[in-house]
Amino acid sequence: MTRDTGHDDGDERHGTNNTDESTEGSSHSDGVVRTDGGSDIESDDRTATDGGVESVTGGSDSTELDPDAYDPIDVFPEGELDLRDGADSCYKCTSCDTSCPVAEVDDEFPGPKFQGPEQWRLKRKEDADIDESITSCSNCMRCDDACPSSVPLSQMHNEARGQFVEEQMEKLSVEYVRNRILANYRTSARLASIVPRLSTYAMNFGPARWVMDKTLGIPKEREFPEFATTTFREWWRDRGGAQVSNPDKRVAYFHGCYSNYNTPEVGKAMVRVYEHFGYEVMVPPQKCSGTPMFANGMLKDARRHAVTNVENLIEAIGEGADVIASCTSCSMSLRQEYPELFDIHGIEDVSDHTFEALEYLRIHEDLTGALEEASPGDERSYAYHAPCHARNQGLSRQAVETFRDVDGVTMEDVGDSCSGISGTYGWKSEKYEKSMEIGEEMFHHMEDAEGEVGMTECPTCAMQMEHGTGYEIEHPLQLLEDTLVA
Amino acid sequence: MDDQVDVVVVGGGSTGCGVIRDLARRGLDAVLVEKGNLTHGTTGRMHGLLHSGGRYAVSDQKSARECIEENRVLRDIAGHCVEETGGMFVKRPEDSEEYFQEKLEGCRACDIPAEVIDGEEARRREPYLARDVEKAIVVPDGAVDPFRLCVANAADAREHGARVETHAEVTDVLVEDDEVVGIEIEHDTGPGKRVHREPGTTEEIRARYVVNATGAWAGQIGEMAGVDVEVRPSKGVMTVMNTRQVDTVVNRCRPKGDADIVVPHETACILGTTDEEVDDPEDYPEEEWEVDLMIETLSELVPALKDARTLRSFWGVRPLYEPPGTGTDDPTDITRDYFLLDHNERDDLPGMTSIVGGKLTTYRMMAESITDHVCEKLDHDADCDTADAPLPGSEDFSVLRDYMDEFGLRSPVGRRSAQRLGSRADEVLKGSDPNPVVCECEGVTRAEVQDAIDGAGSDLNAVRLRTRASMGNCQGGFCTHRIAAELTQEYPGGVTRDAEDELYQERWKGQRHALWGRQLSQAMLNHMLHATTMNRDGDLATTDADVDFGAFDAGPDGTVGGGTGADDAASGVTATDGGHDGDR
Amino acid sequence: MAIDSDVLVVGGGLAGITAAIAASREGADVRLVSHKASTLRQASGLIDGLGYVPATEPAKPLREGPPTAGRNLDPDEWPDPEGPLAEPYAGIDSLPEEHPYRLVGADALRDGLALFDDLVGDAYVGGHTDRNALVPTFGGGVKPTARYPESVAAGLASDDRPMLIVGFRSLTEYDARAFADRLEASGVPFDVAGVEVEFAEAFRADAKITRFAKALDRNEPVDGTPAREALAKAVAPHLHDVVDDDGNVDRVERVGFPAFLGDDEAAAVRADLADRLGADVFEIPMGPPSLPGLRLEDRLYDALDAEGVRFETGIPVVDYETDADGRIQHLLLNRKGSKIPYGADAVVLATGGLVGKGLDSDREGVREPVLDLHVPQPSDRYEWFVDDAFGEQPYARFGVRPDERLRALDENGAVAYGNVWVAGAVVGGADVAREKSASGVSLATGLVAGQEAAREVRQ
Repeated sequence: MTRDTGHDDGDERHGTNNTDESTEGSSHSDGVVRTDGGSDIESDDRTATDGGVESVTGGSDSTELDPDAYDPIDVFPEGELDLRDGADSCYKCTSCDTSCPVAEVDDEFPGPKFQGPEQWRLKRKEDADIDESITSCSNCMRCDDACPSSVPLSQMHNEARGQFVEEQMEKLSVEYVRNRILANYRTSARLASIVPRLSTYAMNFGPARWVMDKTLGIPKEREFPEFATTTFREWWRDRGGAQVSNPDKRVAYFHGCYSNYNTPEVGKAMVRVYEHFGYEVMVPPQKCSGTPMFANGMLKDARRHAVTNVENLIEAIGEGADVIASCTSCSMSLRQEYPELFDIHGIEDVSDHTFEALEYLRIHEDLTGALEEASPGDERSYAYHAPCHARNQGLSRQAVETFRDVDGVTMEDVGDSCSGISGTYGWKSEKYEKSMEIGEEMFHHMEDAEGEVGMTECPTCAMQMEHGTGYEIEHPLQLLEDTLVA
Repeated sequence: MDDQVDVVVVGGGSTGCGVIRDLARRGLDAVLVEKGNLTHGTTGRMHGLLHSGGRYAVSDQKSARECIEENRVLRDIAGHCVEETGGMFVKRPEDSEEYFQEKLEGCRACDIPAEVIDGEEARRREPYLARDVEKAIVVPDGAVDPFRLCVANAADAREHGARVETHAEVTDVLVEDDEVVGIEIEHDTGPGKRVHREPGTTEEIRARYVVNATGAWAGQIGEMAGVDVEVRPSKGVMTVMNTRQVDTVVNRCRPKGDADIVVPHETACILGTTDEEVDDPEDYPEEEWEVDLMIETLSELVPALKDARTLRSFWGVRPLYEPPGTGTDDPTDITRDYFLLDHNERDDLPGMTSIVGGKLTTYRMMAESITDHVCEKLDHDADCDTADAPLPGSEDFSVLRDYMDEFGLRSPVGRRSAQRLGSRADEVLKGSDPNPVVCECEGVTRAEVQDAIDGAGSDLNAVRLRTRASMGNCQGGFCTHRIAAELTQEYPGGVTRDAEDELYQERWKGQRHALWGRQLSQAMLNHMLHATTMNRDGDLATTDADVDFGAFDAGPDGTVGGGTGADDAASGVTATDGGHDGDR
Repeated sequence: MAIDSDVLVVGGGLAGITAAIAASREGADVRLVSHKASTLRQASGLIDGLGYVPATEPAKPLREGPPTAGRNLDPDEWPDPEGPLAEPYAGIDSLPEEHPYRLVGADALRDGLALFDDLVGDAYVGGHTDRNALVPTFGGGVKPTARYPESVAAGLASDDRPMLIVGFRSLTEYDARAFADRLEASGVPFDVAGVEVEFAEAFRADAKITRFAKALDRNEPVDGTPAREALAKAVAPHLHDVVDDDGNVDRVERVGFPAFLGDDEAAAVRADLADRLGADVFEIPMGPPSLPGLRLEDRLYDALDAEGVRFETGIPVVDYETDADGRIQHLLLNRKGSKIPYGADAVVLATGGLVGKGLDSDREGVREPVLDLHVPQPSDRYEWFVDDAFGEQPYARFGVRPDERLRALDENGAVAYGNVWVAGAVVGGADVAREKSASGVSLATGLVAGQEAAREVRQ
């Protein structure tokens, strides 16, 4: 079921459009549309998640009902999504609770089954209040992967959290302000990267951190990520954009905030690897994927950003591109949360055309063949952690399976535990300890592993891996670059 | 037995409970007997509509007026049993405009507040309504929990000195010198609360007057007294949906017909109903077509019903009565009015009156009129106050308090508990520490279950009706054993086991009628849990199997008593099931 | 381009994993795909072989026509099952002809269990004998099973040492006193008592089982005392609660806890508790959420990794393509919107039954949703059930019918597609719940289907 939450998209969208992206972006506009349409790949016309209500036929007196007799999209004109019917699929098996990393360490958190199908079923339309514990959900979405009945758990959590924040959270509270700052990482990152060294220093400066901990509830133990001196987009602009032109093989890169501001080397690796395989890379204007905003119930913020993203990505898709993300949370957001939570023109198309970077190559290129003879040149051992958000996309094993037979590379899966950071969750003072408790298992397994370098597709998992073990962390694209391109 | 009471009331449905309350409040010494749980017969097997009167506004305006009057009374005196959902009569394009106007005029003629809204407004209020619904009449329908209502009436009666005996079946009506002088009953497990495995007893209750309030069973009681009571029982199906597709009562605005109402009830929606005359109120077919009809026809009003999850279906039997000589063929034409049959006037048998017909919404009014009648017979002068005195649980009733903070309950759990318990919430919820949730689907905590056990003994179906525990998605799959475990404090293991089996089988009965799609998956999961993991079907404590424990694996070391060989017969132990033979 | 493998296994439960490893050991290049995380985490962790031969008559309602109101069940009309069987293989010949065990034979069960023993190593016990073990589970009854987690071993019912069952007031799954009472009523050859203690009460009342496991794993302080010590302290005063038939105190030699004694560190937790209590410690298998099921899942996925099987979860099969001979050429998997073809020479369908959603149904009928394989069933849904909840339920035996090589059959009894094998709960003919045969059926059919699929590929 999709819907439109926001009413206030207009102004801010146009305001920010004039700043960095629209000027530095190098969206292609040669108008060439891919002709083969990707022979093997069909776009799946997915029906609304409430499956088939449109097909209702009449009973005794009426003939066939108008197929439009019931259209879930405008069922909730007020913008509140009623997910009580999502409880229909739950058969209480508790697989979701078993998979929840927060419930393992926090007994104040009643688990995804309660937060999702149970809370929704017990709720009535006029009931305003959502249990406060919803704010303890880290939105790792492991419950989605665990549920054998396809209960839309994370969607229920997202919606409940959105309602809680909208209706019950004190808007002037420190917690709200802090969460909004964390959720809008892109805004702070953009400001910080204007003077990156100063920002990195200032944000990690002791007294400043003490103040942040006390006033905003951002734990002083956390180190703010380093800001790159040159953002990915600056690099892209400086190199003159795409260096391969190929109307038959085009991809639009959704780099996300982190690859842009903090780890441009991942973005660069993406470009070089894709160009190595003959792809024309486009870098359309873009904003935050929304992941941190969903986790904090800031659905209106997320929607505003989504409008820009969908608009620009749909244009690239029109030019024959598929959308590639290097961050598994960004790809998750574009693929799953977007169509679940927003009703924006073209959003389903964006969802259908989005892939994670390694996933796409594994589908479309003979990666095994390409890696057969290749080697990064030296011996490397990695402790690989699959991000939670990789699971629902079928990606949790891709790095291990891609690299384990490559000469000189040892790739060890450190198990299926959660890193504990879940985006912004670990960035809250009250959650910091829980976050580290969740991560403990992963830290142990990393230390047990042979490799001294960590690997993961998710930038915040990488942060936590580094924070917990002191290891340097790489993205699979970087290893791919070293092995194939260098 | 010399003890003679003033009145014995037979039948623990809404009428009987209303009568015993009224009698007790007027100072009469009265006893209520019921063969099952309260509401066991018809009252507990209805869709829970608190009529605004709208449904009768065209066909039966007398009933319609009574309904709206009593509707108002119940909102006052039984707030914790009523959800003020509001209701609407919706018109589809193929439904008659003429009838719509008749309905509207009828409502107005009967003083039922009625407002016409267009289709768009109707869908704004109820988003799942079909898009081609043209318009609707809004009326003050509501939802009422019949069990809670009856329990509250019985509790008030007890407080005023009455005795209430459930699981006490009438085996004879005592007639001496051509006058009814009392009844003979058989207590299933002795007087008081029902407890499994306690022996049954019989009792004679002599009374100055007997009220036969057994509804569809009135003919059977009449027969024991040697008089004819021509009740025409008519069955109707109710299909329970897992969630609420609508939050207001949705009626189809057309003349009488099957499958024309959706009632939101607690966490669920109930679809109703059919109307088919049956011979025996306890033995009639529950048919597939009836369930299909509910879903097919009502999805014309609410298309989402077609694919929504159905939990179960149940049937109820209306106690229809028509005065001799009316000669109606179609049971839907029989009046919903109620009748007092004074057997003295009618059959020259003094000492007993039967009450038949009627409906839940007007139960109090019926109770008042029969209590007036009995008082007149007994020459007892007292005024009725049941329309003004709130029922226990509805005094000073407010659900707005923050139960989450006070009792450490999650907010939806606290809210639903408070709604069920009404003003008793404090007293009940403070009673148990720790207070974990026992039934997750319905958010029922231990405190509520324990409170219900206090009232109902080991009868877990009565506990279920009081609390809603086991009435959600899993239909007891995940909580039957938990609820049964709550009996352990008070009752021996054998009682717990019997009670558990009884509840599980009862939950299965209704699910048979919803055994497809998600409920079939649920049934299989329940089966796996109870048969595979718990081995409830092969439970050595309840089957007759003689098991040679020594013939089974006793571990790789083989050091322990059972030994590792089948020949090690010395330790082969025969099941001695502690005297609980033949449990199942 | 398609993602190709020799054998593509659909489904990540016990049957799918077994089939994938069996095929891999036959030399095939194997890939396993599953829509969701394995439902092993719902299961108790016990590996049943065959515990009962349930009575199969009457398989119809007790009376003709639709169910009627007010009909009381008379359990005496139902014959008792044959069992509990001391030995799983003995009962196979008494099962109905279309039962999967009858199709693949007792040796397949034997080999399946042997493969399982090999995969799980010393984490499971039972491989030392052909006999079933009687294990107390959370309902308080005992059930026959072929393999049991090491953590359960000290709780066997054929062991005559005095037993204490521990329960917690805030844990609603069972009451330890009723548990002990049921064991006694079952005629077990040992003395037993149940006690409800305080420990879980230190946590919020709706804390999850995984929370306790984690607290014990990490030995977190509970009200200032390390968790394992706190738990032992709560139990220690009751070590003399067991009284024998003559009224003498029978010092407890083994203590049973709900199965939450740690996850990663389970063995250490048990050892620590045993040490502190001076008695063996065992876990009582529970309903979901199930730590033993979760531990088994971890172990089997490690095995899958070690065997070199590639696997992906989170992606459902939504369609398929056949070649000119009607054989399955590709399965199409939905990767969040895009249908990606996965090519294979042989497909093993191990998608589960009604619980695992390998079978789907509506008011009209029951379907196998992935390849639309034939599922025999009465056309009237009122013939899918009988009145006794624990009776011979036709729905419990729903599933695809295969030949003796486990190739799926169509409605005419001919091999469907030619290269599709079926394993586990999607295979019909067994009432695994009443038979206590669920895991055994998965192991036996998984093994045969995997081997047969791999052999087909090699030809």
